[in-house]
Amino acid sequence: MKVYRLELTPSVLNLDWQEVETKIKRFIKDYVEKSEAKGIIVSLSGGLDSSTVAALSALAIGGSKVLGLMLPEKETFNAKDIEHAKNVAKKFRLKSQMCDITPTLEAFYKTIPIFDPTEKVCKGNVKARARIVYVYYYANKLNLIVCGSSDKSETMMGYFTKWGDVAADIYPIMDLYKTQVRKLAQHIGIPKEIETKPSTPALWPGQLAESELGIKYEQLDLILYGLEHFMKPQEIAEQLSIEKQLVTKIKNRWLSAEHKRRMLLTSKLEYRTIGTDFRLPRSNY
Amino acid sequence: MEEKIKIALAQTSCKRENKAENLAKMEKATTKAKKQNADLVIFPELSLTGYVVRDQIYELAETIPGQSTKIIENLAKKTKTHIVFGMPELSEKTQSTIYNTAVLVGPEGFIGKYRKMYLPTHSVFEEKRYFRPGYQTAVFDTKLGKIGLIICYDIFFPEVSRLTRLKGAQLIVCISASPAVRRAFFETLTVARAIENTAFLAYVNLVGIEDGLQFWGGSRLVGPNGKVLAQAKLDEEDLVICDIDYADIRPVETFVPTLRDLRPELFDKLKSQAENL
Repeated sequence: MKVYRLELTPSVLNLDWQEVETKIKRFIKDYVEKSEAKGIIVSLSGGLDSSTVAALSALAIGGSKVLGLMLPEKETFNAKDIEHAKNVAKKFRLKSQMCDITPTLEAFYKTIPIFDPTEKVCKGNVKARARIVYVYYYANKLNLIVCGSSDKSETMMGYFTKWGDVAADIYPIMDLYKTQVRKLAQHIGIPKEIETKPSTPALWPGQLAESELGIKYEQLDLILYGLEHFMKPQEIAEQLSIEKQLVTKIKNRWLSAEHKRRMLLTSKLEYRTIGTDFRLPRSNY
Repeated sequence: MEEKIKIALAQTSCKRENKAENLAKMEKATTKAKKQNADLVIFPELSLTGYVVRDQIYELAETIPGQSTKIIENLAKKTKTHIVFGMPELSEKTQSTIYNTAVLVGPEGFIGKYRKMYLPTHSVFEEKRYFRPGYQTAVFDTKLGKIGLIICYDIFFPEVSRLTRLKGAQLIVCISASPAVRRAFFETLTVARAIENTAFLAYVNLVGIEDGLQFWGGSRLVGPNGKVLAQAKLDEEDLVICDIDYADIRPVETFVPTLRDLRPELFDKLKSQAENL
């Protein structure tokens, strides 16, 4: 039987951006209303994802109910990012606050007996996890919903800190690949300089997502789209004229990161087990 | 039997796991529909409990007739209307065998029920984990004509609608909980099922967001010629009153005589091919 193949061209990532905007806004508004929260908090780095999520939140429930929290620290401090975050806050009329988390980080470094400043991933993850402590403090204190900024490309690749930047209550753009987030950002009027600047998790100086992932998002997103649609690595490689090895590497990374996406694993001992066979609605509203 | 009836597409959202609130909403909508002279009020799939209730279904399911159907029966008596709604039905013979069921009640009480035959268990759907499928199509001879009941994913399988039509259904009622990404399928299939069966088809879909799933609404009445006679709003609650004139069926039956042209011998072939897919 002849198998007709899905054509893996950039156009497969096209969506009706107005419809996407509407659905995401409805999702945000509905969640905030039903949970009886006073608004939303976003960790606002000045990058593409957090700017887009902050803007969508403001468009959904009004900027006065959205707090963009800027959490710089001295090693990765970038005045341009702060300027971009402030521009987004101004344009979408959301509230913003800034906390310099440097003293907190230094306290961590000082009090961890085995702390090794040369281990940049371990150290960087402290930053991501420290930031979320601040975000959740604000959320608890002000009765706000934490809006996560993770996109589908990074989440599939496990390119985030477990219990760190990914910690949130809702993830409005998690079903959109990075290149799709750029399109959505353009659609809702995120300033061009934010939309086009290279992504960075800002865990150490000079860190760039595409260099670390070893691939451009334009290509990565098509590979991930193919994997999402059950295509085999060989087929994806042929269609994109790339090495099968690269696709396999991406696939393995995606699969091996499931522990970061699906948490609470225990050993099955009893009748209904948390994480595996308790299947409950997230809430009853 | 009435030749002309008025139906209400009661496109509601649900408060999950809160039957009392959902029943109150049904009462409000039915009363409002009655004021506009509706004879039949139709609510979405699992409108008693909400769609995404997962393991809570074991607490929520009830026998039919049961406590909730009694309340709806009383509502039908009080308002002198017929009502279709959806609920998880607990088997009378076991303690945790559940069906995804559509219930039809009228001013004289309980009329009948239909247990969903095709249970989607793919993508976001996990119905086979919770429900036993039904094995019978259902058509009821009522004062409002012969009404057939189907539920949501059943519409993808033309044989369900066809069987209800062959049993005489003039109006096929499809209650649904369809998420927005599937809108185009239902817009096409509702029209197709009406045309191929030369019957009226009333589609009533859920709205609201449950666990991130956005239900798109868009409830509609389709005429036997495939014309969309009435359409509810997208994505928000709505109550649309529309008219059915059964006299419209006859001219379509002669213009596009799909029932006259049925070829039963193909059904045997269909069966053998389906068994060997």
